Amino acid sequence: MKARRDVFQAIADPTRREIINMIAPQSLNVNTIAEKFDMSRQAVSLHIQILIDCGLIVVKQQGRDRFCEAKLDQLSEVSIWVDQYRQHWESKLDNLEKYIEQLKKQRDEKHK
Amino acid sequence: MKNTNDTRDREIFLSRTLNAPIALVWEVWTQPGHIANWWGPVGFTNTISTMDMQVGGEWNLVMHGPDGKDYINKSIFREVILHKKIVYEHISYPRLVATIEFAEQGDQTLITWHMLFESREQFIEVAKAHKVVEGQKQNVEKLEAYLAGLSPRQ
Repeated sequence: MKARRDVFQAIADPTRREIINMIAPQSLNVNTIAEKFDMSRQAVSLHIQILIDCGLIVVKQQGRDRFCEAKLDQLSEVSIWVDQYRQHWESKLDNLEKYIEQLKKQRDEKHK
Repeated sequence: MKNTNDTRDREIFLSRTLNAPIALVWEVWTQPGHIANWWGPVGFTNTISTMDMQVGGEWNLVMHGPDGKDYINKSIFREVILHKKIVYEHISYPRLVATIEFAEQGDQTLITWHMLFESREQFIEVAKAHKVVEGQKQNVEKLEAYLAGLSPRQ
């Protein structure tokens, strides 16, 4: 199953919420963000990557530094509705997936 | 219908690799007896009175909500290519064209599902009015709480 990336996932994690709060007033360089957390740089980078995938952060290269800028439009009401609606259709695919598994099992048993 | 080439603001695109051969995926998509078992959100049941899988054929599906409300879905099939593609036009509200494509990937099947709404207005209206299914409710509450806590943008 493919990973889903949406605003809900973005803010589901406290570290990611903190990152958004940090960069909401001003862009920050990745190292500066990483230093604020009591976890490995890789772990922080992964959170940043998820925020990028969710469209809440864009990274801009400035010389040797990578600056993270918050794109909070994604948290607007309209995108929330659209995300929810999208999930409604994703759940249809979940149902289809489950139903197929169930059907396969039933048919396998019949063949035994 | 608005004349615009940019459809990004009124479409949904989904894809999933299903762990089943294409013939089985096609079967569960195209037979009313199967589709009634997975269509519609959790807690809903479905009644399919017509599913005429040919170009111009009608598809009538009623979803029965847990609150006793019925949701009528009338569609016309526009394209049906065995094991490849289904295009249907949803002529009940909201008006949309759905294109479902199937691609064989060994023993698995990649299904892609594209829904293009007639207008941005209908798309947003439906998304807004859409009942929040259990499980997502929590997410929304979480998000609302979070938004409430965010300081206003300068």
